[in-house]
Amino acid sequence: MPRVAIVRRELPMAMSALAKVFVILLGMLIAVALVSTVTRTRIDIAFATLLQSLVNLNVFVYISTLLPIAVGLCIAFSANAWNLGAEGQLVMGAVGATFAALYTPLGSQEIVAPVVSIIFAALLGALWALPAALLKMFRGVNEALTTLLMNFIAYYTTNYLVKGPWRGRAVYGYPTTDMVPRQARIPMAPGYSFSWYVVAACIAIALLAYLFLYKTRLGAALRALGSSPRFVELIGVSSRRLYLIAFLLSGALAGFAGGVKLLVYHGKLVEGPIVGSGYGFTAIMLAWLGGLNPLLLIPASYYTAALYILSFGLQIGSAAIGDALANTIVGSLLTLALLADFLTRYKLVLR
Amino acid sequence: MRKPFLQTVNLCKRFGDVIALSDVSLDVYPGEVLIVLGENGSGKSTLAKILYGLYFPDKGYIKVEGISIVFSSPMEAKRKGIFLVSQRPQLIDDMTILENVAMFLGEPPSRDLRKRLYALLNELGITVDIDRGVHTLSYTEKQFVDLAKVLMARPRLLIVDEAATYLPRELKQRFLNIVKGLRAKGSSVMYITHKIGEAIEMGDRFAVLRRGSVVGVFGLGVDASTLRQAMFGSEEYLTRIAKGFTQGAPQKPAALSVENLLVFDEYGKPAVNGVTLTVGAGEIVTIVGIAGNGQKELGEAVVGLRRVSRGRVRLNGVDVTHMPACERVRRGLVYVPEDPFREGVAMGLTIAENMKLFSQTKVSRELLETVTRKLDVRPSNPLVAVAKLSGGNVQKVSLSRLLLTTPKAVVAYSPTRMLDEKSRVLALNMLQRLADAGSAVLLLSEDLEEALHASTRVCVMVSGRIVRVFEGPDLEGYREVIERVMVHA
Repeated sequence: MPRVAIVRRELPMAMSALAKVFVILLGMLIAVALVSTVTRTRIDIAFATLLQSLVNLNVFVYISTLLPIAVGLCIAFSANAWNLGAEGQLVMGAVGATFAALYTPLGSQEIVAPVVSIIFAALLGALWALPAALLKMFRGVNEALTTLLMNFIAYYTTNYLVKGPWRGRAVYGYPTTDMVPRQARIPMAPGYSFSWYVVAACIAIALLAYLFLYKTRLGAALRALGSSPRFVELIGVSSRRLYLIAFLLSGALAGFAGGVKLLVYHGKLVEGPIVGSGYGFTAIMLAWLGGLNPLLLIPASYYTAALYILSFGLQIGSAAIGDALANTIVGSLLTLALLADFLTRYKLVLR
Repeated sequence: MRKPFLQTVNLCKRFGDVIALSDVSLDVYPGEVLIVLGENGSGKSTLAKILYGLYFPDKGYIKVEGISIVFSSPMEAKRKGIFLVSQRPQLIDDMTILENVAMFLGEPPSRDLRKRLYALLNELGITVDIDRGVHTLSYTEKQFVDLAKVLMARPRLLIVDEAATYLPRELKQRFLNIVKGLRAKGSSVMYITHKIGEAIEMGDRFAVLRRGSVVGVFGLGVDASTLRQAMFGSEEYLTRIAKGFTQGAPQKPAALSVENLLVFDEYGKPAVNGVTLTVGAGEIVTIVGIAGNGQKELGEAVVGLRRVSRGRVRLNGVDVTHMPACERVRRGLVYVPEDPFREGVAMGLTIAENMKLFSQTKVSRELLETVTRKLDVRPSNPLVAVAKLSGGNVQKVSLSRLLLTTPKAVVAYSPTRMLDEKSRVLALNMLQRLADAGSAVLLLSEDLEEALHASTRVCVMVSGRIVRVFEGPDLEGYREVIERVMVHA
């Protein structure tokens, strides 16, 4: 019987890069095959739709949400802070933005309103990440569990708000708030549901995060925290403070994404699962797909967004499978990426 | 004509751009101790790892009793009776000693195994509770537990990769005797070291590696200078440790002081019990003792990695007892930790990134180059990840903190561990130079050699207490007394 053994190996950079490109292409093929099967579309049409998706400006709708969250997670994961609560932090970001826009006088001031709302969103996102960080730092509670559970608290808190005290007066009993004032909205690109300002901000965030992680002492220490907290202490940097920074930054960025989503797209607070719609979880996969490098996250989020558009694009008129298909595709893609990562580091020997 | 138990045929291994081994062909005969000698980063450990199935060679193969084979996992090597004791103990921290051994041997942790393990530990002269979690052991304790674990498997070829080099003298002697016992029973030993003296004492044959190639194989009766010549080539280097001018100098103000310190270990037992100690600026004070007598806990308490239950730690007169480690480091206390891999460097970062982190201020490219050249880190490319370096080179990176800062006080735990002769001298000279420049140096060591060479004062630590202090211009003369005190207090 042939036996399989797993052997470590080291490929040159070029080969590893080639493997990634291969995975990306293979992922597209899988996506096309899957979409055409599920929606009963001819394969050539599905393929054409894929190509259209790649040049469809609507990718920015998804990039605007996914990219900042993934950048935040990239910072957290680099420091071994396992924040799985981006979904909840995103939702609470939307709540924060709604509060500032609807329930403070600042909400009706031109220019000031969106800025203040976004700041509120980021603050509430960070605040939502804080308990898990504190529990981990002072009580050693596993942060992966606490952050995950906080997601549900965020969902239901939002549901309570939109069904209870914040339910709008002009919404005919639907579980939403009133629309936020026009002054607080971020203007969309004509004909699309994204904003160029936000896209620019997201790319700037990715660039800044890269500079922070790879060009500053604090950023390098943060990456070192992933391998050894004691090493970090011994170079004179507080490992606790660093951990807190990593956690709060990722929470703030998820909150930022939630605020943006609300001010650009929804325009009013809706039920938690609808605000979140799983982007916080997709972003976890995206962070790994980009190899925890903020710069690589830009193409990775573009690619993921295109696959989203593909799976939605072919569903018009067919059964509303919605996010399910998109998430299946992105999920299988990540599996593939991880497999490729494994195969570039190890090889299988048959004998 | 004897047949070799194991042969390596043209083994080659590359890591990215770094060539670790090129065309290494060696034979190991039954009943012999083959020494593999080489300086840090010469490819010794890579060779060991290939023989043990941890690395897969790029080219070449192995023959075991004439049959060609390439191991793809240690399990296969173990099946052929080949075992490795490496410089980093291969134990699972969250398990007990017994569980580790049982898992390694693939048998249940039965009463019988327990009895056999205790018997072997007895033979090695080690008293340790085998139901203790491995994470509570000191680095040296882990090393001999790892050794015992492998000896339990009755190896046909035992590869010793620097594992014995840092054992306390007495324990090491017993270990060497056991190795010689293995040889008498017809097993082979591949003994990897960079210490020439140890090599000559142990070996039947000597293979010298330099930059990944075998540069010579010598028989019994070879002398030290021939081996040194082969190891380092014709390079000139210092073998003398520079002595400072601080010996016998008048009392300096205490830069680092510890007062009646009480520190507990993981089990709530006092590991450091009432230690009082003063290190003046410009002094090198060494604490020697057999591993597990509280030196590790003392070092960690001084630098702030371990909680102090009673007593005071002062740095330049400031009470730092309850400050976090990072705060003490910022105030000029530098710690060279016991385990360079886990605490001394960030393995995922590059050499340059690690070095830059050591300094609180910006490090210029020139300084970085100077430090790399001075420490002779190999490969010298600063953009290589530290994870790719050999053990000795990882330790050099960890030591670079001494060149990148001007500390008020230094606490160093066995800083020459894993270093070859040349780098060892360099490291001790670095400490001396820091002392000359006014730093207070507290050296925690299990190596009496190092202690006697470097210090102005030697304190012997036994069971968490400092039992004797030796001082004076001729510490060398106290060697025998110190050894006796270390073992029986």
